[in-house]
Amino acid sequence: MNCISVKNVSYKYPYTEGFALKELNYEFEKGKCYGIIGANGSGKTTFCNLLRGMIPHFFEGELTGDVFIEETDVRNWDSNLLSTKIGYIFQNPFTQISGIKETVFEEIALGLENLGMEKEALIDRVIEVVKLLKLEQLIKKNPNNLSGGQKQRVAFASIIAMNNDIIVIDEPTSQLDPESTAEIFSIINLLRNQGKTIFLVEHKVDLIAEYSDEVIVLKDGQITLSGSTQEVLSNMDLLQMGVMLPQASMLSYDMQKANKQLDSIAITKSQVIEQIKQRVGV
Amino acid sequence: MDYEFINSFKKPQVQNNWFLDLNPLSKLNIILILAIIPIVVKRWEVSVVIILFYFLIAAASSRLKQFSKVYVRLALLIGSLLFIMRAMFIPGEDVLMKIGFLTITQEGVDHGLQFATLVVAICGALVLYSVATQARDLMLVLEKKGVPHTATYVILSSLQSIIDLGNMSKLIMESQKARGIETEGKVTNRIKSFFPILGPLFLGAISNSEEKAIAMDARAFYAPGKNTHLRELRPVSLSEKSVLILINLVFVGFIVWRVVG
Ligand SMILES: Nc1ncnc2c1ncn2[C@@H]1O[C@H](COP(=O)(O)OP(=O)(O)O)[C@@H](O)[C@H]1O
Ligand SMILES: [Mg+2]
Repeated sequence: MNCISVKNVSYKYPYTEGFALKELNYEFEKGKCYGIIGANGSGKTTFCNLLRGMIPHFFEGELTGDVFIEETDVRNWDSNLLSTKIGYIFQNPFTQISGIKETVFEEIALGLENLGMEKEALIDRVIEVVKLLKLEQLIKKNPNNLSGGQKQRVAFASIIAMNNDIIVIDEPTSQLDPESTAEIFSIINLLRNQGKTIFLVEHKVDLIAEYSDEVIVLKDGQITLSGSTQEVLSNMDLLQMGVMLPQASMLSYDMQKANKQLDSIAITKSQVIEQIKQRVGV
Repeated sequence: MDYEFINSFKKPQVQNNWFLDLNPLSKLNIILILAIIPIVVKRWEVSVVIILFYFLIAAASSRLKQFSKVYVRLALLIGSLLFIMRAMFIPGEDVLMKIGFLTITQEGVDHGLQFATLVVAICGALVLYSVATQARDLMLVLEKKGVPHTATYVILSSLQSIIDLGNMSKLIMESQKARGIETEGKVTNRIKSFFPILGPLFLGAISNSEEKAIAMDARAFYAPGKNTHLRELRPVSLSEKSVLILINLVFVGFIVWRVVG
C-alpha cells in the first residue's frame, strides 16, 4: 500500500523567486526506509516539510500538484492531526528539547500528555521507550543539561513514544560525534525493524547504504536519480549531483580500474568483504 | 531503572512541608494579603513586622537560605536607595541637619522610612513566593483552571531561556577570554566585552524560535482534545480551603474596618 504519493509537485516559498521543489513524482510504500540525499540547498528539508504536511499548512507559498497522505489529499488533512501522525526529528538537538520539563522522563512523556493519554498507560509507554533506547541512566537528569548526543537520543525517544507509523528524520547526526552517530543509527535500525515508514535525510552515504531500501537524490529541487539503494549508490553520476559515493562503491570502482573488478559494485563494507572473501576463497 | 522515581509520578507531588505543599494559588493568596497589609496600614512598624514574618515563613518551609540569599541584598539595596532619596528631597518644618544645599528633615526621614519599608515588604512577597513555589506547579494549577497550555508553555520556556541565555553568554565570554579579550577587571572592560555578544545571543534566540515551534508541533502540542498531566498536585484539602476562607474573611473585615474607621 502507498502511504504517501507525490504527484507533479512544485513548491515555491513565499517571497522567493525560484521553486524550491520542481515537478516531483514518487510513490512511497509503507514500511520502507527512504534515504534522501543531495547537496546543501538542494531541497531536502523542504521535501521533508512537504511529506509532513507542513507545506502547505505551516509554510505558505505556492504549491502545485498533489500530495496524498494515506490516500487523503494533504490539503484536506487537519494539520493538527497530521502532526500527531507523522513523527519528525531534525538536526538541532537543542531546539528539540521542550525546555519546560525538569527530567528526561517527563520530557519523553510530553507528547503523550498532549495526546491526552491516561497516566497509567502513559507511564508504561515511557518506560517501554526508555528501555528500548537504553536511556535508563538519563531519566532523572535535566534534559536542558544533557550533551548534544544525549539530547538527540531523548528527542528520538520523545517522538518514538508517540508511536507514529511514519517518521521523518532530517540530518539527525550532523551535529554529533561518531559515537553518538552510531547510537542514533542503532535507534533508526530499531524503527526499521518495527516496520515504520522512514524518511531519512543524511549526508553520510555509507550509512544510507546500510539502512535504506530506496534512495532519492535531489538536485536544485528536482529528483535527479532514484530507485533501489544498490542502483543509486553505485551510480557514478552521483558525483555530478554533489553527492559522494559510499566508500565501498569507490573501492569497487578503483578495483575495476585496476582490472581487479569485483562481481558487482558493492555499496557497503560487508558486501565488499563478502566478495573479496569469495575471490580469495575463504 | 529507578522505579521509585517513576512511581513518584503515580502519587501527588509533595515535599512534606506544610507551607510548600499548599496549593500554589493558596500560597499566592496568603502572600498577596501579606503584601497588601502594609499598603493599607502605611506604618513602617507594620512593614517591618511583615518582613520578619516572611523570614519566619521561609524558615518554616526550610527555604530560609534561598530566601535570605536573594532578599537581604535586594532589601538593603532598594531600601537604602529609596530611603536616601526620600529623606533628602522631601521638604518639611523640622530640620535635622543641613549638608551643603541638602536639608534633611524629620518629615523626610519619616516618609523615607515608611516608603522604603513598604517597597521592601512588597518585594519580599515576590521573593518569598518565588522560593516557595515552583513555576511549573503554578502553571499546572493554572492549566487545570483553564489557562491554555500555549500560555503556560510560553511562560515556562521563557524562564528556561533566561537560564539558557545566561549559560550561553558565559560560554561566549569564556571564548572571548580565550581569544585574549579582557572580560574581567574594570567595569568598562566588562561592558566593552559584553556588548559584542548581545548580537549573536539574540539572533540565535530568535532563529531558534521557529525551530522550537516546529519541534513542539511534532510533539502534538496542538493536538485536538484535552491533554493529560504526568505530574499531579495534592488536591486542596477541606481544612486548607476553610483556613483560607477564614483568612480572607478576616482580611476583608480588616480592610472594611480600616476604610470605615
Ligand atoms: N523558510 C524558507 N523560506 C524561503 N526559502 C527557503 C526556506 N527554507 C529553505 N529555503 C530555500 O529553499 C531551498 C532549499 O532549501 P532546503 O530545503 O533547506 O535545502 P537542504 O535541506 O537540502 O539543504 C534553498 O534555496 C533555500 O534557500
Ligand atoms: Mg536541510
